[in-house]
Amino acid sequence: MPISLLPESPGGWPERHHDDLFAMPRKEREAVQLAALKLRFERCRNRIPALKTLADKQGVERIERVEDVLPICFDHRVLKNYPLTILENRDFAKLTTWLNKLTMHDLTKVDLSGLTTVDSWIARLESYGMIIGTSSGTTGKLSFVARSLDDLPGWRATWMQQSTAGTGINPRSTKLPTFTPAYRTGNQMAIKNGSMFENEMCGGPQHRHTLYDMHMSSDLMVLSGKMQAAEEKGELDKLNIDPELIAQRRQLIEQGRRRAHDVEVWFDKLVRDFRGQQVRIGGLFSDLYRAAQAGTDKGIKCEFAPGTVVVSGGGMKGFKGAPDNWREIIIDFFGVDRICQSYGFSENMGNAPMCSAGYYHFFPYTIVMLMGPNGEALPREGVQKGRMTVHDLLAESVWGGVVSGDEVTVHFEDDCACGWKGPRVENSIRRYSEMEGGDDKITCSGSAKAYDEFMDYVAGQ
Amino acid sequence: MSKIYEIPILSRGRVIMPSEGDSVEYGGRTGARFRCPNPHKHVHDLVLGDAGKLQDLHDMPMSKVLDFLAALGPRLKLSENPYLQDSFEMAIEAGGLTKPLMTQLYERLPSMFDRKSLEARVEKAIGIKYLDSWVPQGETEPAASIRVRAVGCRQFHITAGNVPITAPGTVISGSLTKSDCLIKTPSNDPLTANAVVRTMIDMDPSHPVTKHFAVAYWKGGDAFMDSEIIRTSRIDKITAWGGMASMQHIQKYLVPGLDLVAMNPKFSLSIVGKEAFESDATMREAGAGLANAAGKFNQTACSSTRIVYVESDTDEDSIQRLIQLGEYVYESLQNLPEYFSTPADKPNPELEAEMRAIESEDDFYWVKGDTVKGAVVVSKFDGKVDFAGELTNRVVNLIPLTDLASMLGEINDRSQTIGVYPASLRVRLRDQLAIRGAQRMLLLSSQIRDAVEEGAVAALPHDGNETLRRQVRWMIDQGPEA
Repeated sequence: MPISLLPESPGGWPERHHDDLFAMPRKEREAVQLAALKLRFERCRNRIPALKTLADKQGVERIERVEDVLPICFDHRVLKNYPLTILENRDFAKLTTWLNKLTMHDLTKVDLSGLTTVDSWIARLESYGMIIGTSSGTTGKLSFVARSLDDLPGWRATWMQQSTAGTGINPRSTKLPTFTPAYRTGNQMAIKNGSMFENEMCGGPQHRHTLYDMHMSSDLMVLSGKMQAAEEKGELDKLNIDPELIAQRRQLIEQGRRRAHDVEVWFDKLVRDFRGQQVRIGGLFSDLYRAAQAGTDKGIKCEFAPGTVVVSGGGMKGFKGAPDNWREIIIDFFGVDRICQSYGFSENMGNAPMCSAGYYHFFPYTIVMLMGPNGEALPREGVQKGRMTVHDLLAESVWGGVVSGDEVTVHFEDDCACGWKGPRVENSIRRYSEMEGGDDKITCSGSAKAYDEFMDYVAGQ
Repeated sequence: MSKIYEIPILSRGRVIMPSEGDSVEYGGRTGARFRCPNPHKHVHDLVLGDAGKLQDLHDMPMSKVLDFLAALGPRLKLSENPYLQDSFEMAIEAGGLTKPLMTQLYERLPSMFDRKSLEARVEKAIGIKYLDSWVPQGETEPAASIRVRAVGCRQFHITAGNVPITAPGTVISGSLTKSDCLIKTPSNDPLTANAVVRTMIDMDPSHPVTKHFAVAYWKGGDAFMDSEIIRTSRIDKITAWGGMASMQHIQKYLVPGLDLVAMNPKFSLSIVGKEAFESDATMREAGAGLANAAGKFNQTACSSTRIVYVESDTDEDSIQRLIQLGEYVYESLQNLPEYFSTPADKPNPELEAEMRAIESEDDFYWVKGDTVKGAVVVSKFDGKVDFAGELTNRVVNLIPLTDLASMLGEINDRSQTIGVYPASLRVRLRDQLAIRGAQRMLLLSSQIRDAVEEGAVAALPHDGNETLRRQVRWMIDQGPEA
């Protein structure tokens, strides 16, 4: 039987069963998406200042086709187009003025008195009704995704839905003890999602087990570059930074050094403590492989209950010398049928679960578009490769249009072997930023990056 | 499908073409495609295992070496030299420069071999008598019994390809140091060194200079090649351009006895004093100078200005003046002559996206232009854009500083060329810039174009390195003359 979706309330779409959403015929799906997109545009056009600026500049007044929204999707860099110095200097007035351009909420009313850290600033905004997630740049520059409680219902619903679709376990009825080799709390989006939905997913914080039972400081991410530079000069004490933060940094560096060992020990314990139970195991491929290989070498065999799931992703970066069959090693060790994966980015709520045929399927509340090399819209037909661009229809208080940093191949036809309909992404996602300079071209002109790499070499790292 | 070029290995006067059963194909994704003989089969053609074979070049007086180079120069006319025509075509396809610029650079090749300037250079850098004879270190004992000679050795050059003059420059320095040179060419300019040395072979394959050049391409990071070549029994000194990618590969083979001359990547900038705002004329002058410093080689070179510190406050009026300076820089960029600087062939999507992303932030930035025409980004606060490390395609960032001295902390070993306006500021900052690691200062003016041109030769030592002196071995002969 067909289902009915209202373009006025995409936040309710993820409450439908994923099989029903993925069964929608293309024509019907695209019609309701376009209708919803038009409403979103009307609603946000003049109420989100950064969108108004961009739409004025691009001369976009109405949306007739999905492609019309492409020129006014925010490049992912727009969510961090403030100068890094205002963040490093913790100039919260300027930061708030900047962030105010990305939301429909009026942030000028937020009391900024007494703020000393980025984390305290985010907490203050959250007590006002915002939900702020950051992504981390390696340079210390954070993107800020400025959602609010208005976005929460759809956000929560899609979080549970992608888990159900991707793992076969519905968290609404089955709460699983969950293991994540990461920090317990933090504003970085992945960590935030984990802690925000721990009741829904795990049945409470006591059932969510993390490698380190501490907070991942945003301030440390921001100041890492500056602190490193100051330390080189022996001037760390001149930075006027809370000694607590300096101590945390030391702890973090220390943890980084022994992380591999900690991951092993931590998994070792959970394998013993949760024998016979159904659990959810998360983590980067590299962490899971490390744990699986160490366990296998010691002759350990996991004996979790049937229905246990391993949820992973992230590649094997930073792990040299893993055998080709590392996936099998993980699957064998944890005693599961497969590794569940999903694809998404901080700026979009509806992550795409991987289907049985190995493709990432986006739900109808994420409109999938591709951008060509010159910023043009690629046809939404057949198989196309380009820059992943989405409009997140679940976004209530922010603009859902985002151009990502990922190069992806999308199949637009409803012909996946798994039976699910909807645009699907091949499991061959690449970051544009990682594709440059890999061609053996040698140059004397230096980007700072090349120089820093060179200095790493000089330092023997 | 694009053309596949046939690139030979040049080995001490011999030309080894790729052939059936002896060829490897390279390139394709971004640059040109080309086929070479399998380098793995030709290690012994590339290295000089017996250093004793340098005797012929050692015995040849520098005047003869200079005669040979001077005779080579006129044969490097693009219009008459088919090897150069091929390498030109390929450099356009593989490299990052536009055709008018590449044409101008290639047309300069003959003049790089001007006998007088080469002679002056080697005389100044090393001293010809040191290359030709054993030079007593004094007239009285004991110094009179100590004789020193600059001796050629076996050099291995890993060259850069962003500007094609690196290739003839390497041929020149190899010849002037009477050394045996193995040149590993880069994928972004795989043929220019080849064309120059092949022209030499046509002139005289048995000339001692010709007999001490080997040129080949292989993929950087080829562990077999690195381990076979980088041995103290085969190589004495390595000159390596480039960053991590090229350094990383040779790192593990570096042992005591192997000398590394590292031409690591540079980041150049300019400094403008408040005098620039004295009149419309001074602003135009500084603006034109900045356009020249940033526009040279389309900002692909190590010496190209990318960021500019300007002595200015950050109140509204001051920022408006700074923006006016930015307008002049932009205007001058558009009017640079084609042989010197041109719009880019294609946009740089990553940088373009960075610029478009900050454009809407007019509290912090003013942006004019794009990555094809060139652009100016004015910071409205005392900090550079966060993507300053990625600036290219003639995009410059102007940064206001109330106190210019506050930028000195930014100066280090990567600060190659620093454009300065006006002249008095150059003298004021010179010593501080020097001790922090900067390598060259240059007065910014609308007249600097020709100075910059000559600067390509005159601005040696390169990267603050007396490379010629480092590329020879200094040997002592001690005791009374027999």
